[in-house]
Amino acid sequence: MSIKGIKDQTYYEILEISPTATAKEIQRAYEHAKETFHPDSVAVYSLFSEEEVKEIEVTVEEAYRVLMDEALRRNYNQSHFQMVGGQPPENPSEAQGVSREQPSLLSFTGLSFNIEEEFYHGKTLKQVRERMGVELQTISKEIKINIKILEWIEEEAFEKLPALVYLKGFLKSYARSLGLDSQKVIEEYLRFMEESKKK
Amino acid sequence: MIWTIGGGKGGSGKSFIAANLGVCLSKLGIRVMLVDADLGGANLHTFLGISPPALSLSDFIKKRVSHLREVLIPTAIPNLQLLTGAQDLLNAADAKSVQKQKLVRSIQSLDSDTILVDLGAGNSLSVLDFFLMSDGGILVVTPEPTSIENTYRFLKSAFYRRLKHSVFSSSVKALIDDAMDRKNEMGIQNPHDFVQAVRRIDEGDAQRVIEEAETFHPNLILNQVRSKKDIEIGFSIRSACLKYFGIHLHYLGYVVYDQEVSHSIRRRRPLVLENSRSRAAQCVMEIASKLANSHSMAIRDEEA
Repeated sequence: MSIKGIKDQTYYEILEISPTATAKEIQRAYEHAKETFHPDSVAVYSLFSEEEVKEIEVTVEEAYRVLMDEALRRNYNQSHFQMVGGQPPENPSEAQGVSREQPSLLSFTGLSFNIEEEFYHGKTLKQVRERMGVELQTISKEIKINIKILEWIEEEAFEKLPALVYLKGFLKSYARSLGLDSQKVIEEYLRFMEESKKK
Repeated sequence: MIWTIGGGKGGSGKSFIAANLGVCLSKLGIRVMLVDADLGGANLHTFLGISPPALSLSDFIKKRVSHLREVLIPTAIPNLQLLTGAQDLLNAADAKSVQKQKLVRSIQSLDSDTILVDLGAGNSLSVLDFFLMSDGGILVVTPEPTSIENTYRFLKSAFYRRLKHSVFSSSVKALIDDAMDRKNEMGIQNPHDFVQAVRRIDEGDAQRVIEEAETFHPNLILNQVRSKKDIEIGFSIRSACLKYFGIHLHYLGYVVYDQEVSHSIRRRRPLVLENSRSRAAQCVMEIASKLANSHSMAIRDEEA
Protein backbone atom coordinates (compact mmCIF):
# COMPACT_ATOMS: atom_id res chain seq x y z
CA MET A 1 0.00 0.00 0.00
CA SER A 2 1.44 3.32 -0.99
CA ILE A 3 0.27 6.87 -0.81
CA LYS A 4 -2.92 6.53 -2.77
CA GLY A 5 -5.92 8.75 -3.03
CA ILE A 6 -9.15 7.35 -1.68
CA LYS A 7 -10.46 6.88 -5.21
CA ASP A 8 -7.39 4.87 -6.20
CA GLN A 9 -7.71 2.39 -3.37
CA THR A 10 -9.45 -0.91 -3.85
CA TYR A 11 -12.34 -1.75 -1.56
CA TYR A 12 -9.99 -4.14 0.19
CA GLU A 13 -7.49 -1.40 0.81
CA ILE A 14 -10.25 0.90 2.00
CA LEU A 15 -11.24 -1.64 4.64
CA GLU A 16 -7.64 -2.77 5.26
CA ILE A 17 -8.36 -6.39 4.57
CA SER A 18 -6.94 -9.00 2.23
CA PRO A 19 -8.77 -9.91 -0.97
CA THR A 20 -9.50 -13.30 0.57
CA ALA A 21 -11.16 -11.84 3.68
CA THR A 22 -14.15 -13.76 5.05
CA ALA A 23 -17.52 -12.17 5.74
CA LYS A 24 -16.64 -12.06 9.40
CA GLU A 25 -13.42 -10.21 8.72
CA ILE A 26 -15.18 -7.77 6.44
CA GLN A 27 -17.80 -7.12 9.11
CA ARG A 28 -15.15 -6.47 11.73
CA ALA A 29 -13.13 -4.23 9.41
CA TYR A 30 -16.27 -2.31 8.54
CA GLU A 31 -17.14 -1.71 12.18
CA HIS A 32 -13.62 -0.49 12.80
CA ALA A 33 -13.67 1.82 9.79
CA LYS A 34 -17.01 3.28 10.86
CA GLU A 35 -15.65 3.84 14.34
CA THR A 36 -12.57 5.56 12.90
CA PHE A 37 -13.82 7.65 10.02
CA HIS A 38 -16.53 10.02 11.09
CA PRO A 39 -16.32 13.79 11.55
CA ASP A 40 -16.11 13.63 15.36
CA SER A 41 -13.50 10.90 15.54
CA VAL A 42 -10.50 12.11 17.56
CA ALA A 43 -8.22 10.05 15.38
CA VAL A 44 -9.07 11.82 12.13
CA TYR A 45 -10.41 15.34 12.55
CA SER A 46 -7.00 17.01 12.69
CA LEU A 47 -5.56 15.01 9.81
CA PHE A 48 -8.33 15.09 7.25
CA SER A 49 -10.63 17.83 6.06
CA GLU A 50 -14.36 17.35 6.51
CA GLU A 51 -14.75 16.60 2.81
CA GLU A 52 -12.03 13.98 2.96
CA VAL A 53 -13.68 12.26 5.92
CA LYS A 54 -17.00 12.33 4.10
CA GLU A 55 -15.39 10.78 1.04
CA ILE A 56 -13.87 7.99 3.10
CA GLU A 57 -17.16 7.37 4.90
CA VAL A 58 -19.03 7.02 1.64
CA THR A 59 -16.36 4.75 0.20
CA VAL A 60 -16.36 2.55 3.30
CA GLU A 61 -20.12 2.07 2.99
CA GLU A 62 -19.76 1.29 -0.69
CA ALA A 63 -16.93 -1.16 -0.07
CA TYR A 64 -18.91 -2.94 2.63
CA ARG A 65 -22.03 -3.10 0.50
CA VAL A 66 -20.19 -4.60 -2.45
CA LEU A 67 -17.89 -6.99 -0.61
CA MET A 68 -20.65 -8.41 1.57
CA ASP A 69 -22.68 -9.39 -1.44
CA GLU A 70 -21.28 -12.47 -3.10
CA ALA A 71 -22.36 -11.59 -6.62
CA LEU A 72 -21.26 -7.98 -6.37
CA ARG A 73 -17.96 -9.01 -4.91
CA ARG A 74 -17.30 -11.45 -7.70
CA ASN A 75 -18.05 -8.76 -10.26
CA TYR A 76 -15.87 -6.32 -8.46
CA ASN A 77 -12.96 -8.74 -8.28
CA GLN A 78 -13.25 -9.52 -11.95
CA SER A 79 -13.30 -5.93 -13.07
CA HIS A 80 -10.64 -4.94 -10.58
CA PHE A 81 -8.18 -7.66 -11.36
CA GLN A 82 -8.70 -7.05 -15.03
CA MET A 83 -7.80 -3.45 -14.42
CA VAL A 84 -4.63 -4.40 -12.62
CA GLY A 85 -3.61 -7.11 -15.04
CA GLY A 86 -4.13 -4.97 -18.10
CA GLN A 87 -2.48 -1.80 -19.21
CA PRO A 88 -2.37 1.31 -17.00
CA PRO A 89 -5.66 1.56 -15.13
CA GLU A 90 -7.19 4.19 -17.34
CA ASN A 91 -10.80 5.15 -17.68
CA PRO A 92 -12.20 2.67 -20.23
CA SER A 93 -11.83 -0.46 -18.13
CA GLU A 94 -12.89 1.42 -15.04
CA ALA A 95 -16.03 2.65 -16.72
CA GLN A 96 -16.68 -0.89 -17.88
CA GLY A 97 -16.42 -2.14 -14.31
CA VAL A 98 -18.91 0.41 -13.11
CA SER A 99 -21.44 -0.27 -15.80
CA ARG A 100 -21.24 -3.96 -15.10
CA GLU A 101 -21.95 -3.39 -11.44
CA GLN A 102 -24.88 -1.12 -12.08
CA PRO A 103 -27.77 -3.56 -12.64
CA SER A 104 -27.08 -5.67 -9.58
CA LEU A 105 -26.52 -2.50 -7.61
CA LEU A 106 -30.12 -1.50 -8.26
CA SER A 107 -31.54 -4.85 -7.33
CA PHE A 108 -29.50 -4.70 -4.19
CA THR A 109 -30.94 -1.43 -2.98
CA GLY A 110 -34.28 -3.16 -3.34
CA LEU A 111 -33.32 -5.24 -0.33
CA SER A 112 -32.71 -2.04 1.57
CA PHE A 113 -30.34 -2.79 4.31
CA ASN A 114 -29.48 0.04 6.58
CA ILE A 115 -27.98 -0.68 9.95
CA GLU A 116 -25.50 2.16 9.95
CA GLU A 117 -27.83 4.59 11.64
CA GLU A 118 -29.32 1.94 13.86
CA PHE A 119 -28.08 0.41 17.07
CA TYR A 120 -27.97 -3.28 17.80
CA HIS A 121 -31.11 -5.04 18.81
CA GLY A 122 -32.66 -8.33 17.79
CA LYS A 123 -33.73 -7.35 14.31
CA THR A 124 -30.47 -5.67 13.34
CA LEU A 125 -28.46 -8.59 14.65
CA LYS A 126 -30.55 -10.90 12.53
CA GLN A 127 -30.01 -8.67 9.53
CA VAL A 128 -26.27 -8.73 10.00
CA ARG A 129 -26.31 -12.50 10.29
CA GLU A 130 -28.44 -13.00 7.21
CA ARG A 131 -26.28 -10.54 5.39
CA MET A 132 -23.31 -12.75 6.11
CA GLY A 133 -25.28 -15.76 4.93
CA VAL A 134 -24.84 -17.64 8.20
CA GLU A 135 -27.52 -20.00 9.47
CA LEU A 136 -28.54 -19.68 13.09
CA GLN A 137 -28.02 -23.43 13.35
CA THR A 138 -24.35 -23.01 12.46
CA ILE A 139 -23.80 -20.32 15.06
CA SER A 140 -25.62 -22.34 17.66
CA LYS A 141 -23.24 -25.23 17.06
CA GLU A 142 -20.19 -23.04 16.94
CA ILE A 143 -20.77 -21.20 20.20
CA LYS A 144 -22.71 -24.03 21.88
CA ILE A 145 -25.78 -22.03 22.72
CA ASN A 146 -29.25 -23.47 22.32
CA ILE A 147 -30.74 -22.26 19.05
CA LYS A 148 -33.98 -21.40 20.84
CA ILE A 149 -32.18 -18.78 22.90
CA LEU A 150 -30.57 -17.30 19.82
CA GLU A 151 -33.97 -17.13 18.17
CA TRP A 152 -35.42 -15.36 21.19
CA ILE A 153 -32.57 -12.91 21.11
CA GLU A 154 -33.23 -12.14 17.47
CA GLU A 155 -37.00 -12.06 17.92
CA GLU A 156 -36.64 -9.82 20.95
CA ALA A 157 -38.75 -12.25 23.00
CA PHE A 158 -37.53 -10.59 26.15
CA GLU A 159 -39.92 -12.38 28.50
CA LYS A 160 -38.43 -15.72 27.46
CA LEU A 161 -34.80 -14.72 27.74
CA PRO A 162 -32.71 -16.03 30.65
CA ALA A 163 -31.45 -13.93 33.57
CA LEU A 164 -29.26 -10.94 32.81
CA VAL A 165 -25.94 -12.52 33.74
CA TYR A 166 -26.54 -15.40 31.33
CA LEU A 167 -27.97 -13.18 28.64
CA LYS A 168 -24.85 -11.05 28.67
CA GLY A 169 -22.68 -14.08 28.12
CA PHE A 170 -24.90 -15.31 25.29
CA LEU A 171 -24.91 -11.93 23.61
CA LYS A 172 -21.16 -11.76 23.90
CA SER A 173 -20.59 -15.11 22.19
CA TYR A 174 -23.21 -14.36 19.59
CA ALA A 175 -21.76 -10.94 18.78
CA ARG A 176 -18.27 -12.35 18.52
CA SER A 177 -19.33 -15.12 16.20
CA LEU A 178 -20.61 -12.42 13.87
CA GLY A 179 -17.41 -10.44 14.25
CA LEU A 180 -19.20 -7.58 16.01
CA ASP A 181 -18.02 -5.44 18.88
CA SER A 182 -19.45 -7.54 21.70
CA GLN A 183 -19.41 -4.79 24.31
CA LYS A 184 -21.34 -2.49 22.02
CA VAL A 185 -23.85 -5.21 21.21
CA ILE A 186 -24.44 -6.02 24.87
CA GLU A 187 -24.79 -2.39 25.85
CA GLU A 188 -27.20 -1.52 23.08
CA TYR A 189 -29.21 -4.69 23.26
CA LEU A 190 -29.76 -4.35 26.99
CA ARG A 191 -30.65 -0.69 26.67
CA PHE A 192 -33.14 -1.53 23.98
CA MET A 193 -34.62 -4.29 26.11
CA GLU A 194 -34.86 -1.96 29.08
CA GLU A 195 -36.71 0.66 27.06
CA SER A 196 -39.05 -1.85 25.46
CA LYS A 197 -40.02 -3.21 28.84
CA LYS A 198 -40.93 0.24 30.07
CA LYS A 199 -43.42 0.73 27.30
CA MET B 1 19.47 -0.97 18.81
CA ILE B 2 18.37 2.62 19.43
CA TRP B 3 14.81 3.44 20.42
CA THR B 4 13.70 7.02 20.65
CA ILE B 5 10.62 8.14 22.51
CA GLY B 6 9.16 11.42 21.41
CA GLY B 7 6.34 13.34 19.85
CA GLY B 8 3.04 14.38 21.23
CA LYS B 9 2.62 16.68 24.14
CA GLY B 10 4.36 17.37 27.37
CA GLY B 11 2.72 15.28 30.05
CA SER B 12 1.76 12.36 27.87
CA GLY B 13 4.05 10.13 29.90
CA LYS B 14 7.15 9.77 27.71
CA SER B 15 9.66 9.91 30.56
CA PHE B 16 7.59 7.59 32.72
CA ILE B 17 7.44 5.08 29.91
CA ALA B 18 11.11 5.48 28.98
CA ALA B 19 12.27 4.92 32.55
CA ASN B 20 10.00 1.95 33.19
CA LEU B 21 10.69 0.32 29.84
CA GLY B 22 14.39 0.71 30.61
CA VAL B 23 13.98 -1.05 33.94
CA CYS B 24 11.91 -3.86 32.40
CA LEU B 25 14.39 -4.47 29.60
CA SER B 26 17.33 -4.52 31.99
CA LYS B 27 15.48 -7.06 34.11
CA LEU B 28 15.16 -9.20 31.01
CA GLY B 29 18.94 -9.31 30.91
CA ILE B 30 19.41 -6.68 28.23
CA ARG B 31 22.07 -4.05 28.92
CA VAL B 32 20.21 -0.78 28.67
CA MET B 33 21.39 2.77 28.40
CA LEU B 34 18.75 5.35 29.17
CA VAL B 35 19.51 8.64 27.51
CA ASP B 36 17.77 11.77 28.71
CA ALA B 37 17.52 14.22 25.83
CA ASP B 38 14.43 16.08 26.94
CA LEU B 39 14.98 19.75 26.15
CA GLY B 40 12.04 20.90 28.19
CA GLY B 41 12.93 19.29 31.46
CA ALA B 42 15.35 16.43 31.77
CA ASN B 43 14.39 14.43 34.81
CA LEU B 44 14.68 10.76 33.97
CA HIS B 45 16.93 10.46 37.02
CA THR B 46 13.98 11.29 39.28
CA PHE B 47 11.96 8.45 37.80
CA LEU B 48 14.82 6.17 38.85
CA GLY B 49 15.25 7.68 42.30
CA ILE B 50 18.63 9.23 41.55
CA SER B 51 19.56 12.77 42.65
CA PRO B 52 20.30 15.28 39.91
CA PRO B 53 23.50 13.95 38.37
CA ALA B 54 26.73 15.88 38.80
CA LEU B 55 28.08 14.89 35.40
CA SER B 56 26.40 15.05 32.06
CA LEU B 57 27.13 14.70 28.41
CA SER B 58 28.09 18.35 28.18
CA ASP B 59 31.09 17.65 30.44
CA PHE B 60 32.30 15.33 27.76
CA ILE B 61 31.50 17.70 24.91
CA LYS B 62 33.35 20.50 26.71
CA LYS B 63 36.21 18.10 27.35
CA ARG B 64 36.01 18.33 31.13
CA VAL B 65 36.24 14.56 31.16
CA SER B 66 38.28 12.58 28.70
CA HIS B 67 36.03 9.63 28.07
CA LEU B 68 32.31 9.37 27.55
CA ARG B 69 32.27 6.43 29.94
CA GLU B 70 33.01 8.79 32.80
CA VAL B 71 29.72 10.68 32.49
CA LEU B 72 27.59 7.56 32.65
CA ILE B 73 25.54 7.27 35.81
CA PRO B 74 25.12 3.83 37.30
CA THR B 75 21.71 3.01 38.74
CA ALA B 76 20.65 0.66 41.52
CA ILE B 77 19.37 -1.66 38.82
CA PRO B 78 21.81 -4.10 37.23
CA ASN B 79 22.23 -3.65 33.47
CA LEU B 80 20.83 -0.14 33.56
CA GLN B 81 22.86 3.02 33.08
CA LEU B 82 21.80 6.60 32.63
CA LEU B 83 23.23 9.32 30.45
CA THR B 84 21.87 12.81 30.93
CA GLY B 85 22.53 16.11 29.30
CA ALA B 86 21.86 14.81 25.84
CA GLN B 87 19.72 17.88 25.30
CA ASP B 88 22.99 19.65 24.56
CA LEU B 89 23.49 17.17 21.79
CA LEU B 90 20.18 18.15 20.26
CA ASN B 91 20.65 21.83 20.91
CA ALA B 92 24.19 22.52 19.93
CA ALA B 93 24.79 20.14 17.13
CA ASP B 94 22.13 21.49 14.81
CA ALA B 95 24.58 23.25 12.56
CA LYS B 96 27.45 20.84 12.92
CA SER B 97 25.84 17.57 12.08
CA VAL B 98 29.22 15.87 11.69
CA GLN B 99 29.81 16.42 15.37
CA LYS B 100 26.37 15.07 16.12
CA GLN B 101 26.97 11.94 14.10
CA LYS B 102 30.26 11.45 15.87
CA LEU B 103 28.66 11.77 19.27
CA VAL B 104 25.90 9.38 18.38
CA ARG B 105 28.50 6.91 17.26
CA SER B 106 30.45 7.18 20.49
CA ILE B 107 27.23 6.67 22.46
CA GLN B 108 26.56 3.61 20.37
CA SER B 109 30.04 2.27 20.99
CA LEU B 110 29.39 2.20 24.72
CA ASP B 111 28.73 -1.10 26.38
CA SER B 112 25.02 -1.60 25.93
CA ASP B 113 22.58 -3.67 23.93
CA THR B 114 19.79 -1.17 23.78
CA ILE B 115 19.76 2.59 23.92
CA LEU B 116 16.53 4.20 24.95
CA VAL B 117 16.37 7.92 24.29
CA ASP B 118 13.77 10.17 25.87
CA LEU B 119 13.41 13.02 23.37
CA GLY B 120 10.76 14.95 25.23
CA ALA B 121 8.00 16.82 23.49
CA GLY B 122 10.23 18.87 21.22
CA ASN B 123 9.54 19.28 17.55
CA SER B 124 12.82 20.84 16.40
CA LEU B 125 14.66 19.59 13.34
CA SER B 126 17.30 18.11 15.54
CA VAL B 127 14.75 16.11 17.53
CA LEU B 128 13.14 14.96 14.29
CA ASP B 129 16.50 13.84 12.91
CA PHE B 130 17.21 11.88 16.02
CA PHE B 131 13.79 10.27 15.84
CA LEU B 132 14.40 9.31 12.21
CA MET B 133 17.96 8.17 12.81
CA SER B 134 16.94 5.61 15.43
CA ASP B 135 16.05 2.01 14.68
CA GLY B 136 12.62 2.55 16.17
CA GLY B 137 10.84 5.78 16.95
CA ILE B 138 8.12 5.49 19.56
CA LEU B 139 5.29 7.99 19.91
CA VAL B 140 3.54 8.24 23.24
CA VAL B 141 -0.01 9.53 22.97
CA THR B 142 -2.91 9.90 25.36
CA PRO B 143 -6.42 9.39 23.99
CA GLU B 144 -7.19 13.10 24.01
CA PRO B 145 -7.69 15.32 20.98
CA THR B 146 -4.90 17.69 21.99
CA SER B 147 -2.39 14.92 22.41
CA ILE B 148 -3.36 13.26 19.14
CA GLU B 149 -3.26 16.59 17.31
CA ASN B 150 0.30 17.24 18.46
CA THR B 151 1.34 13.74 17.59
CA TYR B 152 0.06 14.15 14.06
CA ARG B 153 1.91 17.44 13.81
CA PHE B 154 5.10 15.72 14.90
CA LEU B 155 4.49 12.82 12.56
CA LYS B 156 3.84 15.15 9.65
CA SER B 157 7.10 16.99 10.30
CA ALA B 158 9.02 13.73 10.66
CA PHE B 159 7.40 12.32 7.53
CA TYR B 160 8.31 15.24 5.30
CA ARG B 161 11.74 15.52 6.91
CA ARG B 162 12.37 11.91 6.02
CA LEU B 163 11.25 12.50 2.45
CA LYS B 164 13.45 15.54 2.17
CA HIS B 165 16.50 13.44 2.99
CA SER B 166 15.60 10.95 0.28
CA VAL B 167 14.85 13.05 -2.79
CA PHE B 168 17.44 14.50 -5.17
CA SER B 169 15.75 17.27 -7.08
CA SER B 170 16.01 20.69 -5.46
CA SER B 171 12.61 21.72 -6.75
CA VAL B 172 11.11 18.67 -5.04
CA LYS B 173 12.87 19.67 -1.84
CA ALA B 174 11.34 23.12 -2.18
CA LEU B 175 7.97 21.50 -2.80
CA ILE B 176 8.29 19.68 0.53
CA ASP B 177 8.58 23.00 2.33
CA ASP B 178 5.43 24.14 0.56
CA ALA B 179 3.56 20.94 1.33
CA MET B 180 4.21 21.38 5.06
CA ASP B 181 2.05 24.47 4.93
CA ARG B 182 -1.52 23.42 4.43
CA LYS B 183 -2.44 26.79 3.00
CA ASN B 184 0.13 26.43 0.23
CA GLU B 185 -0.62 27.86 -3.18
CA MET B 186 -0.08 24.57 -4.94
CA GLY B 187 -3.26 23.15 -3.41
CA ILE B 188 -1.35 20.30 -1.76
CA GLN B 189 -3.66 19.15 1.01
CA ASN B 190 -2.15 15.80 1.87
CA PRO B 191 0.69 13.40 1.05
CA HIS B 192 -1.29 12.04 -1.88
CA ASP B 193 -1.53 15.47 -3.49
CA PHE B 194 2.14 15.87 -2.74
CA VAL B 195 3.13 12.70 -4.57
CA GLN B 196 1.08 13.77 -7.56
CA ALA B 197 2.91 17.10 -7.57
CA VAL B 198 6.30 15.41 -7.28
CA ARG B 199 5.42 13.12 -10.15
CA ARG B 200 4.96 16.15 -12.37
CA ILE B 201 8.50 17.27 -11.54
CA ASP B 202 10.51 14.08 -11.30
CA GLU B 203 9.21 10.51 -11.63
CA GLY B 204 12.30 9.09 -9.91
CA ASP B 205 11.79 11.23 -6.86
CA ALA B 206 8.11 10.27 -6.78
CA GLN B 207 9.15 6.62 -6.60
CA ARG B 208 11.63 7.40 -3.83
CA VAL B 209 8.95 9.25 -1.90
CA ILE B 210 6.61 6.27 -2.11
CA GLU B 211 9.36 3.91 -1.00
CA GLU B 212 10.26 6.11 1.94
CA ALA B 213 6.63 6.18 3.05
CA GLU B 214 6.40 2.41 2.79
CA THR B 215 9.50 1.83 4.88
CA PHE B 216 8.66 4.36 7.57
CA HIS B 217 7.33 2.40 10.55
CA PRO B 218 6.97 4.54 13.64
CA ASN B 219 5.61 2.91 16.78
CA LEU B 220 2.73 4.02 18.95
CA ILE B 221 2.04 3.63 22.65
CA LEU B 222 -1.30 4.82 23.94
CA ASN B 223 -0.96 6.00 27.52
CA GLN B 224 -3.54 6.64 30.22
CA VAL B 225 -6.33 4.69 28.60
CA ARG B 226 -9.47 4.43 30.69
CA SER B 227 -11.77 2.25 28.62
CA LYS B 228 -11.94 -0.28 25.87
CA LYS B 229 -12.99 2.53 23.57
CA ASP B 230 -9.76 4.35 24.38
CA ILE B 231 -7.76 1.28 23.38
CA GLU B 232 -9.57 1.27 20.05
CA ILE B 233 -8.35 4.81 19.41
CA GLY B 234 -4.88 3.37 18.91
CA PHE B 235 -6.18 1.24 16.05
CA SER B 236 -8.03 4.22 14.65
CA ILE B 237 -4.84 6.28 14.69
CA ARG B 238 -3.12 3.47 12.86
CA SER B 239 -5.85 3.38 10.20
CA ALA B 240 -5.85 7.15 9.86
CA CYS B 241 -2.08 7.17 9.31
CA LEU B 242 -2.35 4.46 6.69
CA LYS B 243 -5.03 6.36 4.79
CA TYR B 244 -3.38 9.74 5.12
CA PHE B 245 0.38 9.12 4.91
CA GLY B 246 0.37 5.62 3.48
CA ILE B 247 2.59 4.60 6.40
CA HIS B 248 2.30 1.56 8.61
CA LEU B 249 2.23 2.68 12.19
CA HIS B 250 2.97 -0.12 14.62
CA TYR B 251 0.65 -0.09 17.63
CA LEU B 252 3.04 -1.35 20.28
CA GLY B 253 0.51 -1.31 23.07
CA TYR B 254 -1.30 0.71 25.66
CA VAL B 255 -0.87 1.60 29.31
CA VAL B 256 -3.98 1.92 31.43
CA TYR B 257 -4.65 4.94 33.60
CA ASP B 258 -3.61 3.98 37.09
CA GLN B 259 -3.26 5.97 40.31
CA GLU B 260 -0.27 3.83 41.12
CA VAL B 261 1.68 5.67 38.44
CA SER B 262 1.60 9.00 40.23
CA HIS B 263 2.20 7.27 43.56
CA SER B 264 5.36 5.70 42.21
CA ILE B 265 6.55 9.02 40.75
CA ARG B 266 6.02 10.73 44.10
CA ARG B 267 8.03 8.02 45.79
CA ARG B 268 10.66 8.44 43.04
CA ARG B 269 10.65 4.74 42.33
CA PRO B 270 10.03 3.05 38.99
CA LEU B 271 6.50 1.66 39.00
CA VAL B 272 7.57 -1.72 37.64
CA LEU B 273 9.76 -2.18 40.73
CA GLU B 274 7.56 -0.42 43.26
CA ASN B 275 4.32 -2.08 42.29
CA SER B 276 4.91 -4.62 39.58
CA ARG B 277 1.44 -6.07 39.96
CA SER B 278 -0.35 -2.83 39.25
CA ARG B 279 -2.25 -2.75 36.00
CA ALA B 280 -0.11 -0.02 34.48
CA ALA B 281 3.09 -1.91 35.34
CA GLN B 282 1.68 -5.01 33.65
CA CYS B 283 1.03 -3.00 30.52
CA VAL B 284 4.56 -1.59 30.46
CA MET B 285 6.03 -5.05 30.92
CA GLU B 286 4.06 -6.35 28.00
CA ILE B 287 5.39 -3.57 25.78
CA ALA B 288 8.93 -4.21 27.05
CA SER B 289 8.69 -7.85 26.10
CA LYS B 290 7.69 -6.81 22.59
CA LEU B 291 10.72 -4.55 22.37
CA ALA B 292 12.93 -7.33 23.70
CA ASN B 293 11.52 -9.59 21.02
CA SER B 294 12.35 -7.24 18.20
CA HIS B 295 15.71 -6.77 19.85
CA SER B 296 16.54 -10.46 19.64
CA MET B 297 15.19 -10.54 16.11
CA ALA B 298 17.55 -7.73 15.15
CA ILE B 299 20.47 -9.70 16.60
CA ARG B 300 19.44 -12.74 14.64
CA ASP B 301 19.32 -10.66 11.46
CA GLU B 302 22.81 -9.34 12.14
CA GLU B 303 24.17 -12.81 12.70
CA ALA B 304 22.48 -14.23 9.65
